[in-house]
Amino acid sequence: MTPQVQQFLDTLNATIPLEGYLVVGAIMFAIGVWGALIRRNAVVVFMCIELTINAVNLSLVAFADYLPDAGGAGVGYAVLVIAVAAAEVAVGLAIALAVYRTRRTVNVDEVNLMKG
Amino acid sequence: MIIAFAFLASMTLLAALGVVLSRSVVHSALFMSASFLGVAGFFVMLNAPALAAFQVLIYVGAITVLILFGIMFTQRPQVRRFRLIINRQFWTGLAVMFGVGAFLAYTLNIQDWAGTEPGNGPREVAALGEILLGVNGAPPIFGLLFEVISVLLLVAIIAAIVISRRKTGEEVDRQGAEE
Repeated sequence: MTPQVQQFLDTLNATIPLEGYLVVGAIMFAIGVWGALIRRNAVVVFMCIELTINAVNLSLVAFADYLPDAGGAGVGYAVLVIAVAAAEVAVGLAIALAVYRTRRTVNVDEVNLMKG
Repeated sequence: MIIAFAFLASMTLLAALGVVLSRSVVHSALFMSASFLGVAGFFVMLNAPALAAFQVLIYVGAITVLILFGIMFTQRPQVRRFRLIINRQFWTGLAVMFGVGAFLAYTLNIQDWAGTEPGNGPREVAALGEILLGVNGAPPIFGLLFEVISVLLLVAIIAAIVISRRKTGEEVDRQGAEE
């Protein structure tokens, strides 16, 4: 095996640094924030919020695996975040359903009941 | 490792962009579940296979189905023109996204990540359970958090039922229901 091939294989097998996961989480968070800002449909806004929550979860688990003194506590926090997100999406969709029943729309631009 | 990481990162991020930019709401939901699957793959790479199983069960399974039901109940057939699904703040939102991304990148850059090595996570399910209960060296606050989350889930279930149920006497909006 030539050294170049060996070097290439070593590069492929190298461990990913922590920054890699954090960058993916940051980009995913930014995309979720963008979607929650620009979409008009309330259900799609919920999906984008789920994306941001998942990005935070990814960062938490990456910290739990990489930081030596964390003791893996980030995984426990990730489980708690998943439970809170499940509760949030259940209540949020119930609110969207109630709004649709009274206003016949889930367009967040048209739901201006509390506009001053 | 690099190949798996690149595959999962591109899958997660492209699916996330698909959620924001696809014209059909159902396609958005399916893109969202693809993105969650990518995150579950990351969890496997990060030595948390039990959490990856939770992710697939709860997010890819339950929440996607819940959101699909929400779409089924709330969407009328609608025109799918791009101008109508995206509000006027498109470029402002893009600027905010780059602002958030730049801030996060700055925060990442000023930290010193030397000395971080993979393999510290709770790989066994037993270790994860001990963390969740706050015993055996885990922060003891987790025991309290576990109980609070249980109560929160119960309250959320009851709240969802109360908010979304029909009041008595409200007309039933079902076509063909009258006589």
